[in-house]
Amino acid sequence: MKEFGLSAIVLEPGPAMFYLTGVRWGKSERSFILVIPAKGEPAWVLPGFEEMRARELIHSGADIRVWQEDESPYERVAQALKDRGVAAGRVGMDDAARFFVFDGVRKEAPKLDYVSATQALKSAGVDLTQPAMGRRGKQ
Amino acid sequence: MNRRVFMAVAAAGAAKLADAQEVPEAIRKLRPMLDGVQPITDDERRARIEKARRLMRENKLDAIVLEPGSSMFYFTGTRGNAGDRVLAVVIPAKGELGWVVPMAQRKVGYEIRVATGAHVAKDDDDAFKLLARVLKDRGATRVGIEERVRFAVYDGIRKEAPSLEFVSADPVTAGCRVIKSPAEIALLQRANDITIEAYRAAFTTLREGMTNGELANNISAAFKALGTTGGAMAIFGKYTAFPHGSIAPQKLSEGDLVLIDDGVSVEGYQSDITRTVIFGKPTARQRQVWDLERQAQDAALRAANVGATCESVDAAARDVITKGGFGPGYKVPGLPHRTGHGIGLDGHEWTNLVRGNKTEIQPGMCFSDEPTIAIYGEFGVRLEDCMYITGSGAKMFTRQSPAIDQPFG
Repeated sequence: MKEFGLSAIVLEPGPAMFYLTGVRWGKSERSFILVIPAKGEPAWVLPGFEEMRARELIHSGADIRVWQEDESPYERVAQALKDRGVAAGRVGMDDAARFFVFDGVRKEAPKLDYVSATQALKSAGVDLTQPAMGRRGKQ
Repeated sequence: MNRRVFMAVAAAGAAKLADAQEVPEAIRKLRPMLDGVQPITDDERRARIEKARRLMRENKLDAIVLEPGSSMFYFTGTRGNAGDRVLAVVIPAKGELGWVVPMAQRKVGYEIRVATGAHVAKDDDDAFKLLARVLKDRGATRVGIEERVRFAVYDGIRKEAPSLEFVSADPVTAGCRVIKSPAEIALLQRANDITIEAYRAAFTTLREGMTNGELANNISAAFKALGTTGGAMAIFGKYTAFPHGSIAPQKLSEGDLVLIDDGVSVEGYQSDITRTVIFGKPTARQRQVWDLERQAQDAALRAANVGATCESVDAAARDVITKGGFGPGYKVPGLPHRTGHGIGLDGHEWTNLVRGNKTEIQPGMCFSDEPTIAIYGEFGVRLEDCMYITGSGAKMFTRQSPAIDQPFG
């Protein structure tokens, strides 16, 4: 990240999340996001009612921040960035992130500059070609 | 036929028979239910595009950009799967639709019926240049990006056209999609009818010791026999408290609740139905919670009237559950999620029955009605039927489950 001038990377479920954490999760309209800062612990942002199921997959002791159905997941993402000292500069977005996720994050953290995370992920050896879709929630 | 060929054919036949025998009879005797299905017409798609143009003007958008997905299919009838390559369509407020398709898929562009011609891109960088040019040709300055367009595609276009403003296209895409036409309601009805038939057959296959995976396979086999395809989620016993199940292995025993939550797609239109039923005899506690769940589902159905807010429907179901001694709010034991979601070409789409959503309910909207009661360590109950809104209130596509031991009405 430092080489590419990124102060954090924001990932949706997919090959990069799986490669880096072993977590597979189905993409749904409910945002499930991993924030990886250049310095400090990663933070997970996920739906409150999925916490039990998510904890079956995420290692214990991880920083997990839940959002309830009428709350914004992007406020949690912005807070996580802030907590890791990411207040300005460039944030790498998952190229496969959906526009609504990016749009939600940029509205909550409008001072950051969002660029593609792909080059940084590739040079870190992340295999972006692995299929990594988990089961999609039905509720 | 020489002997070698005969042996190979005989072996293949035997293998086929073995497969067929693994499928229980109740499922094998199902027949396709797709007779008389009427796909959405091109005229209806053209009317959708005209409505989208009107919503663009109302929302001060000059164009919207879509990648393959349910919105592209909704407006154009094109599925247009291009793998990782960029395939996109620009729907402008004024002027012709602009397609940009990769070289390898250039036929896709010519097969589309609601526009003529397409720009063929040599590679993704070329696609971004072409999309930027299409947007400029149509005089766009403020552009709506469909919600599931990948960041990479947005990023590619903005680099080629940095002076444009890019915002969410939701007011246009969701604005059209939330209101279903009679043709759409008919397709949703068929998807619901098929799902109930599959569940009916699958519930006859319940037996002591079966795994939840086997039940899920039986449901999938039933969907296939009925002429369609669908995913399958089956949960047993205490894991029914997890709204989306658990990875823990599960075997069915006497007294377990069985929860199935699934759906199929007919011409792209989705169903989503949940049944929770007792295997064996229910305890008083199971029956009491199941009955409370049914009352909560009924309360949401009654509340979903034209002009009511979406959040008031959620509140109606949640109040029943809170008065029954659970919650409050999202607290478990109780209802940890919203009461329902919109449904159409996506199993979950705009708009939701959730606190904070002040959208007023209008005729033609379709929702799931599914207030779970989750009691971790014990069990969970979810009854889910989908409803469509008419001038005289909400109507269910399916008959609700009447009792804990009767999944079908």
